[in-house]
Amino acid sequence: MNSKERVFAALNGDPHDRPPVCTPTSVATVEFMDLNNAYFPEANRDAELNASLAATAYTQLGFDTIAPYFSIIQESSALGCDMQWEQKDNWPTVRMTNPIWKNSNDVKIPKDFLSHQDTKTIIDSISILKKQYPDDVAIVGKTMGPWTLAYHVFGVEPFLLGTVDDPAETIKCLEKLKEITILFGQAQIDSGADILTLPDHATGDLVSGEYYKRFLLELHQELVEELSVPIILHICGNTIDRMPYIAETGMAAFHFDSRNDPDEAIRTVDGKIKLAGNINNPTTLYSKGPDAVKEEVFRALNAGVQLIAPECAIPLKTKMENLLAIPEAITDWVAERGNFDVFKS
Amino acid sequence: MSLSHEGLKKEFEYVTKPSEQNHIGSALEKLDPLMQEIAYELITGNNSAVDTLTKKALEEGYSANDVLDDGLLNGMAIVGVKFRDNIIFVPEVLVSARAMKAGMTHIEPILSASGVEPLGTVIMGTVKGDLHDIGKNLCIMMLRGAGFTVHDIGVDSSPEDFIDAVEEHEADIIGMSALLTTTMPNMGTTINTFEDMGLRDEVRIMVGGAPVTQDFADEMGADAYGENAVDAVDKAKELIDLLSELKS
Repeated sequence: MNSKERVFAALNGDPHDRPPVCTPTSVATVEFMDLNNAYFPEANRDAELNASLAATAYTQLGFDTIAPYFSIIQESSALGCDMQWEQKDNWPTVRMTNPIWKNSNDVKIPKDFLSHQDTKTIIDSISILKKQYPDDVAIVGKTMGPWTLAYHVFGVEPFLLGTVDDPAETIKCLEKLKEITILFGQAQIDSGADILTLPDHATGDLVSGEYYKRFLLELHQELVEELSVPIILHICGNTIDRMPYIAETGMAAFHFDSRNDPDEAIRTVDGKIKLAGNINNPTTLYSKGPDAVKEEVFRALNAGVQLIAPECAIPLKTKMENLLAIPEAITDWVAERGNFDVFKS
Repeated sequence: MSLSHEGLKKEFEYVTKPSEQNHIGSALEKLDPLMQEIAYELITGNNSAVDTLTKKALEEGYSANDVLDDGLLNGMAIVGVKFRDNIIFVPEVLVSARAMKAGMTHIEPILSASGVEPLGTVIMGTVKGDLHDIGKNLCIMMLRGAGFTVHDIGVDSSPEDFIDAVEEHEADIIGMSALLTTTMPNMGTTINTFEDMGLRDEVRIMVGGAPVTQDFADEMGADAYGENAVDAVDKAKELIDLLSELKS
């Protein structure tokens, strides 16, 4: 069973040899940038550099997916947002304090959206990776959901205030932004993406679970209908209160944060969606060692998490030994169990 | 006086910790109907009502301090409890903050002119390389509401920006925020810079942000960690008390 087959079996609930390690979000590190001579910010903006840095997840770490998208800014840059590109040791960011739009009437997709350097980098990088690894490993594209795009184009505070002041207008904005999610997602599928991550940061740090139901549930169901590959929804932070709704989206998996107890998460989604996660980044992967990583992988697996992954884009200075400890821990866990029936759902 | 405002009574039901029930409850019971109305309208985020009622109260002869303490801050205390207990979230806090601001536009000039002493002076900023500001802004709003003078140095703030602001404003506390795991270590860099410049003992340092934990704050050498905006206010008050003890 190769990596791609393993990932799809886990997503589909088919028998497989071991739980896969997946990368719904970035696993790029400074160490890998050095190994590949592919540095930030250029690796975000050049397809060859991007593909070579992304492939390290598979070639160096033995993970089962490759995700050639290291930040959350490509679409927003192509839409004209004000960018801070940063250096090797930090992710590029959208300057959300300088929003480009005020309301739904402003939402217009530029004609060159898919040929813009920053969206094209991802589309071309997927083509390169697909040629290099046609069927060995799952290529995971990423298209931002309308809620995250709204933070970028309207600014976080104006957008969130608008949800209270004029919810109907918020829904109009999200409907229009959804078209960007579909456009970029479809372009990546056409280029060869096997799976899409859909980050849409309606996190418990900012909004309630009821907000998710009210503003996003139907939109996410529509996105599942529109995009033909399995979708992994990613939302950081506390999300237990919205997991019952997320489980109704039809998404293939939900990528969740370490702030949610994996046992509780498994109980909450009640088998309606697969879970990917939830190895802690700042404390475990960044600050601790392989033993702590192994302990956390075991905890997720014992809970029944189907795809193991860091909880979010890993800190850029995460040590390689801690990342290598993830697949090692899975191997140890499977060896200790001696069977794998729990995943033959 | 008793709590006669039906809406405010219902809002008070969200306060469930006995110590807070006593503290906030006894404060609310002392309020006359106008102050109860201001508190209620602030909680529900009705900024035009808070604007009108604050102006009316000042015209009727209430002191700026009384309107702030009795009307606005009592309302904000319930907003803080509801936010901490996940009854409301950031959008609802933002509308209350907007209402608070509407009231403060009438009150601040009077307080400034009267020379009322703040609880302390705080410099707030998001660390170098990080452009996220919503958590920092919520903390600033809560700190100002609690009686601190706060200077916001914005996002992407270098250690030198913090040092310059501390020196310029003779601040007691700096508060650093970070949302990214890549920028969290810049909290440590800033603290080290204060040490290198021989300024570490001059100021108390608190940190916060979604990925920041107490362990991380300890490791970086911060004096306090604020888990959320309400906690940040409590920690700032504790730091001011400590500073007062040290000075005495």
